[in-house]
Amino acid sequence: MNKNQVHRTRPWPGFQMPKSLGSFGDANCMEQLLVHCANAIETNDATLAQQILWVLNNIAPADGDSNQRLTCGFLRALIARAAKSGTCKMLAAMANAQNYDNLCNETHKFSIIELANFVDLTPWHRFGFTAANATIIEAVEGYSVVHIVDLSTTHCMQIPTLLDAIASRLEGPPLVKLTVAGAVEDAPPMLDLSYEELGSKLVNFARSRNIHMEFQVISSSYADGFSSLIEQLRMQKLMYSGGIGEPEALVINCHMMLHFVPDETVPLMSDSEANPNYPFESSSVYSPRSTLLKALRCLAPNVVILVDEDADFTSNNVASRLRSAFNYLWIPYDTVDTFLPRGSKQRQWYESYIYWKIQNIIAQEGLQRIERLEPKSRWVQRMRNADFQAVPFGEDAVSEVKAMLDEHAAGWGLKKEEDDLVLTWKGHNVAFATAWLPA
Amino acid sequence: MPTDLDNSSTASGEASVSSSGNQPPPQPPPPPSTTKKKRNLPGMPDPDAEVIALSPKTLLATNRFVCEICNKGFQRDQNLQLHRRGHNLPWKLRQRSGKEVKKRVYVCPEPTCVHHDPSRALGDLTGIKKHFCRKHGEKKWKCDKCSKKYAVQSDWKAHSKICGTREYKCDCGTPFSRRDSFITHRAFCDALGDALAEESAKAQTQGQGSAPVKPNLEADPKVQKPPSPPPPAPPQTSAPLAVQSSAAVLSTVLADQAVGMKENASQILEEPPVTSSLIGSSSSSTSSSSNGKTSTSVIAGLFASSAPSSTLQPPQQSTPYTDLIRAVAPTDRSVDLGPASSVEPISLCLSTNHGSSLFGSAGQERRQYAPAPQPALSATALLQKAAQMGATATNASLLRGLGIVSSSTSSGQQENLQWNTNNVEHENASVAAGLGLGLPCDGSSGLKELMMGTPTMFGPKHPTLDFLGLGMAAGGNPSGGFSGLMTSIGGGLDIAAAAASFGSGDFVGKDIGQSS
Repeated sequence: MNKNQVHRTRPWPGFQMPKSLGSFGDANCMEQLLVHCANAIETNDATLAQQILWVLNNIAPADGDSNQRLTCGFLRALIARAAKSGTCKMLAAMANAQNYDNLCNETHKFSIIELANFVDLTPWHRFGFTAANATIIEAVEGYSVVHIVDLSTTHCMQIPTLLDAIASRLEGPPLVKLTVAGAVEDAPPMLDLSYEELGSKLVNFARSRNIHMEFQVISSSYADGFSSLIEQLRMQKLMYSGGIGEPEALVINCHMMLHFVPDETVPLMSDSEANPNYPFESSSVYSPRSTLLKALRCLAPNVVILVDEDADFTSNNVASRLRSAFNYLWIPYDTVDTFLPRGSKQRQWYESYIYWKIQNIIAQEGLQRIERLEPKSRWVQRMRNADFQAVPFGEDAVSEVKAMLDEHAAGWGLKKEEDDLVLTWKGHNVAFATAWLPA
Repeated sequence: MPTDLDNSSTASGEASVSSSGNQPPPQPPPPPSTTKKKRNLPGMPDPDAEVIALSPKTLLATNRFVCEICNKGFQRDQNLQLHRRGHNLPWKLRQRSGKEVKKRVYVCPEPTCVHHDPSRALGDLTGIKKHFCRKHGEKKWKCDKCSKKYAVQSDWKAHSKICGTREYKCDCGTPFSRRDSFITHRAFCDALGDALAEESAKAQTQGQGSAPVKPNLEADPKVQKPPSPPPPAPPQTSAPLAVQSSAAVLSTVLADQAVGMKENASQILEEPPVTSSLIGSSSSSTSSSSNGKTSTSVIAGLFASSAPSSTLQPPQQSTPYTDLIRAVAPTDRSVDLGPASSVEPISLCLSTNHGSSLFGSAGQERRQYAPAPQPALSATALLQKAAQMGATATNASLLRGLGIVSSSTSSGQQENLQWNTNNVEHENASVAAGLGLGLPCDGSSGLKELMMGTPTMFGPKHPTLDFLGLGMAAGGNPSGGFSGLMTSIGGGLDIAAAAASFGSGDFVGKDIGQSS
């Protein structure tokens, strides 16, 4: 099993004592070093921070094994943080040096075909796609108009299989309306295609499956909880409800996107950062995240699918964020280690994608820190507070997810927790899928 | 069949009955005298058969039957017997009649397995062996092409032969082993577009005809972009993303600034005709010049974003400022600054400079932003050069250094240099603080203070964060701009000391080497 977990409970030995660096090699030590380093940076102890960084730099080469690469990612993120907060000039110098070699990685824009391959490397995304699609098909049965609002980080990668599945349903394919949020901000994976072009490809594909499809982009930002998207949907709903159109099934598909929406722990925005369109009162307990869920509830959707990564990165304490990120993000490094050759392009993209996450979690603060994952339990609570009730995944969904996982590496697994599905890697929770109806 | 990962076994076992699978059969097994290929139903052996339980070790041992002459091992006794014949040793093949030899069935050694129970034993040794490997063993055979893993080598071999050939193939030639991957690829592949190209025209018109007319959406089946909500989309949507983001940041800066400024200053800063001309020239320079693109695009963003808010400005206010511009413009040309890219920064500097000289305190506030639009990368270069000039340099000389390097980013900007330098000398202290962030600082606490920006330097509403934001947007890298600044300073001032404190230069040397 994984080294991270095996040594998890070992106490911190004191980094200045051991003579050989070999004993630092395990993930637990690396985590401890990183935590100490983060604390040193936070307390402006530049000397200590530098000493730890020196050690880490020696035991965690960027081209090492997956734990070393993981550690190296955190190391770089810490340096970037130090450079921002100005604790240590030396660190800043290093951060700068490293930014140069990151530049090319971080700005990689996927072609649509590359992105399709990228998303399919592991079940990380496909798990949610598969579970969601089966549930959506079930939820919109009998409707001749299906409106899908896709809030996803993966640029509609879920839609083709959904269209393919819905095309073959017994009563014939519905009219499909697809609405996506054209995010103002860009988070990886980034696409070198506009949403308009993407949409026309999807419309074409739908046509090849005899589905009539409409595609619309509503430019909207997760930073304010997609307020303009919600507003637009509300308008459309009003117009429909008064109209003579056929009843429309509304599906809200949230795929690893909602954790970008600020939660309660985001501090008040200063005036200079404030979005003039920000529609809400600033208050210390205000949470765009919960507000969004309540707004979604008001749209009376037929089903809401909420898929996200199962970890907690919301702490305002950088050291505790570091801990939970370290204990979660080893998974993506580990999963590709088995089959993507080191140095391959795909692996570079993959790892720079993970590195972007680490960097965001560790080096960013405030509204810039958008990797604000919450564990499943907290999302469940939010959904209940927003007056949703969970619906269990059907047999179809479960068996399709299982079949999909069988086609991937042996470490992937599926857990059923109450009504929800959980994707696991070597027994550790990776992502969850939940389905909701208005209560 | 060999790719079948289920319990099913090949029928080539030594016993004529090979069983597989999980479901209890409704009928009794066929007589053993039937052909060898005939399969029994899964896990329901002849009740009379001899049940054999092998340990995992024995089960997985290859070549249990060893020839005493040449030590060659065989998996089955039958094969050994045939081999012995070659040595002229006595050999004995088992009788095939099935009557004398009692049939054997094998149970899985894994206690939790359904096939551990004798009533669900499997009928042949190979079958139980493969079952055990597949279900309870390590998958150590991996397909290089699709990363599928197999516990049984023969499964892997069989898969390898057909991997990527059998399953799904797009018209573009790419093979897929999984349907979902294929579908996703297919949807976005140009091959589909080509295939649909002819149909699409027809289908489109049909679609339009048959589409239900909705009150709020056009019936056009093609991609439609409904009117986006009024405020968020900035007018310069065609500009690169970096520009947009920087524009956003800058526009907030400008907005706040405008509020804080005296009326006349803000009016002049945002005077429409000038602004629009700046946009025009800067956008053209973005496309025409490659090296200066960061700076110009940022500047374009700066002015473009301020333009929309300026529509209500009284027209007469334009006169003094445009005059200024006009006055300077000929000068530019005389210095042979033909290309638009070089005109651009000058204009910017101009506005700043005049702002400060003409409008006293209002200009003062603006000054701190003047350095910001400089591209982060060139700022890095700047400060690196500056650091080379010596850590003990005074603010003024350092900043002059900045000016020099800055102008060198696009050729022939002597005029620009002068303006910059003017600017610097004019407001030595505040610019030094803005650009040089932490220059004179040795201790970390002092540094921190400087980094955070004191209110007197930056004004209460725009601490360092905003300033950094600008650098970020310009550089296209979250920390590039700022760390760039820091680096060169650190490189000049602190690195030696830091390296010394480490004793060993390994760590330090490597990274610093890259930065300087």
